[in-house]
Amino acid sequence: MSRSYLFIPGNTPSMIQNLDVFESDAVIIDFEDSVTSYDKDAARILIKNFLKKYSYKDIDLYIRINSAESDYFLNDVKDTLDLDIIGYVLPKASVKAINALNKLSSKKIIPIIESPLALLHVKEIANEDNVTALLLGAEDYTKELGIKRSLEGKEIFYARSIIAITANAYNIDSIDTPYTNKEDMEGLLVDSENALNLGFTSKSSIHPNQVDIINTVFAPSLDEITEARRIIKKSEETNKGAFSLDGKMIDMPIIEKAKKVLEKAKKYNL
Amino acid sequence: MGEYSERKIKVIKHIDELFTFIDIFEHKNISFHHHLRNGDYVLNYVLKKYIKENVQGINLFPSSIFPSYLGILDLIKNNQINDITTNYINGPVAQYISKNGLPGILKMQTHGGRARSIIEGKSKIDIAFIAAPYVNHDGDCVGYLGKNKCGSLGYAIADSIHAKIKVLVTDNLVDVAILHPEISGSNIDYILLVDSIGDSQGIVSGTTQVTNNPVGVKIAKNTSTLLKELGVIKNGFSFQSGAGGISLRVTKDVKDIMIKENIKASFFSGGITKYHVEMLEEGLVEKLYDVQCFDLEAIESLSRNKNHIPISASRYANPNDKSQIIKDLDIVILGATEIDYDFNVNVTTDSHQTLVGGSGGHSDTATESKICVIVSPLIQGRIPVIKERVTTITTLGKNIDCLVTERGIVINPLRKDLVKILKESKLKILTIQELSEIAHNFTNIPKDIVNRDKIIGEVEDRTFEIIDYIYQK
Amino acid sequence: MKTSAGSLESSDCLITISDSSQLEIVIESVVFAQFGEQIKEVIVNTLNEHNITNVLVQCFDKGALDYTIKSRLETALNRRGEHHE
Repeated sequence: MSRSYLFIPGNTPSMIQNLDVFESDAVIIDFEDSVTSYDKDAARILIKNFLKKYSYKDIDLYIRINSAESDYFLNDVKDTLDLDIIGYVLPKASVKAINALNKLSSKKIIPIIESPLALLHVKEIANEDNVTALLLGAEDYTKELGIKRSLEGKEIFYARSIIAITANAYNIDSIDTPYTNKEDMEGLLVDSENALNLGFTSKSSIHPNQVDIINTVFAPSLDEITEARRIIKKSEETNKGAFSLDGKMIDMPIIEKAKKVLEKAKKYNL
Repeated sequence: MGEYSERKIKVIKHIDELFTFIDIFEHKNISFHHHLRNGDYVLNYVLKKYIKENVQGINLFPSSIFPSYLGILDLIKNNQINDITTNYINGPVAQYISKNGLPGILKMQTHGGRARSIIEGKSKIDIAFIAAPYVNHDGDCVGYLGKNKCGSLGYAIADSIHAKIKVLVTDNLVDVAILHPEISGSNIDYILLVDSIGDSQGIVSGTTQVTNNPVGVKIAKNTSTLLKELGVIKNGFSFQSGAGGISLRVTKDVKDIMIKENIKASFFSGGITKYHVEMLEEGLVEKLYDVQCFDLEAIESLSRNKNHIPISASRYANPNDKSQIIKDLDIVILGATEIDYDFNVNVTTDSHQTLVGGSGGHSDTATESKICVIVSPLIQGRIPVIKERVTTITTLGKNIDCLVTERGIVINPLRKDLVKILKESKLKILTIQELSEIAHNFTNIPKDIVNRDKIIGEVEDRTFEIIDYIYQK
Repeated sequence: MKTSAGSLESSDCLITISDSSQLEIVIESVVFAQFGEQIKEVIVNTLNEHNITNVLVQCFDKGALDYTIKSRLETALNRRGEHHE
């Protein structure tokens, strides 16, 4: 149900101790790209001590561990099993990697789809145990494909679409790729709306200043909330499985969607 | 005022010559303004003469003391100084006085209080040395023209009228009439010509940009949301912000709200930056009341925008000035080094008891404005901004209405009206003790290291009341 | 032998551990007056937890919170262990 997933570098105390300040619905503490190879141990110990001392009821915490093929994978998981986190974000995800992770842990998994091969296997990946969302990693994906990225996003249209559709079909969340231009707020808005309009339920970000826009884009609008309230109200009054509202046919799926909208509105304090 | 003047003002080519007309030993109360900021040459040039002549018992009245004003340090080390009266002090002079005190006292005033004190004769200035970027032979002067222009000369006006002897120090003496002088030649006694009054780079040094730091961005967002919920951003409202990165970010956020809701402000006051000028030129505000310019764009705006109005410190913030601008001020956004459980705010010393600033317009605007908001990170370098008792009171708690940090907002319980409006607010509003506990949960409680053995100065509010003392480190 | 962990970034600390005939703790901190004792306490407690006695611990602190000081110390200790193998 999270709208935003904020990456926080796992070995930077000043960011770690402020992870809840930026109002992201979920935070991904990063052990991978933002931590140098010689400080992987330092990050694990820092996060272990941090999460043992401070708890966050209102934020979904994940750790992006290193890929299953890396030297760090085993220790990343072993050292964090007893921490109060929802689960792991798994880079370079594949069915094999997810299996390896599930052998070690029963926490939730968010695989990062960041290669053409992973994209081709997205259905199997979505179907694996404990997978709770799919995250698109467009940087690595386009690098492998040998193509350039654009704001319009035509080149990742298919990747976005298939991930959003698959996640929806398997009843899990879809998380769009980060917008890498930290200063460009207008571009971020366009990019987020592009993802929303393809069916993504959320977006990840690499900078705290991006969270507000993402939260706004992926939250139900005031109109949607008002409409949802009316639908629920009428459904409670009529007691019928389906009814008419404003000339439109309202049946079970629409009522369920309205319930979800109100749930979100309540959670995000809208 | 542009007409041919009978009275010829003596033009002098060197400071030695000046003191053939004036007895340097009989004129020990001397004042300077700080509009050339860290690029000022005049203060050091004049003090060099006082050092050379070994004048004793000098009482300095600089409106502020910047790091480059090292002539003051020399005077202190030579034991030639008695009292220093100023509104802001930072840098080596500040550090030295924090550790060693003065033979006399360090009196910290407010911008409005300084003007009042001079006008009402409480501060008796013998010679006012006024760095003047653009002067004519009548002694008329403006600050926004000339090769070392600095913009509004607000802090020099009271001195230019009430000091015993008034000396304009300039590197730009012209032969044209000045239509609307900031300083009138009818008050001036001497014009001292120098090669350069300052370094134009240093004049705009130390000014800040809108912050992009995520914590500052969050604080600013909380602040603009708070202002919106309090209903104070509306047509005709007036606003002032400090020149710090977070305050400027608040200004930017308020601007976005104004554009979205088609709101025009009546005026912005205080220190003017390019951001304020932009808003004037975009039609978002009627007037800018400028007591000092913080950047080149602000200086240049003075010469082209008739609604960008330079004002004196007295007109700005003297409580006894009938035309006091800030009595109509709705909102002010200010910073703090510390705030305590009584909402007293410190911008004079830091948590190591070193002098780092002073009220400037802080206490003035907090007192007069309808809503005063302090913006600050909750914790900086492990030091919580909230303390049981501030090291130095710059502004009294009764004048502080809100504190906004990245982890929560506090409303002064004295403002029952604001508390009422915010009852249903979605903002995270806490008591000051609760917010302090949140900080301590991260930092632990710092050891109280404030030394109160020796008084080296006093904080004099605009009411002339001494609201706190300054102690040696 | 000498190991270290952490950095001189704001809110972090750099901890260096070297062999010594006795326990020595040297702290340099931007907030020494306010938190010097607290920092020492964290270091002593962490060393006790790990039964370490004869080391020289040097802490260059830039306003790190307790959990960071503990972590950087534990990391430096860990790194000692690795090298001994």
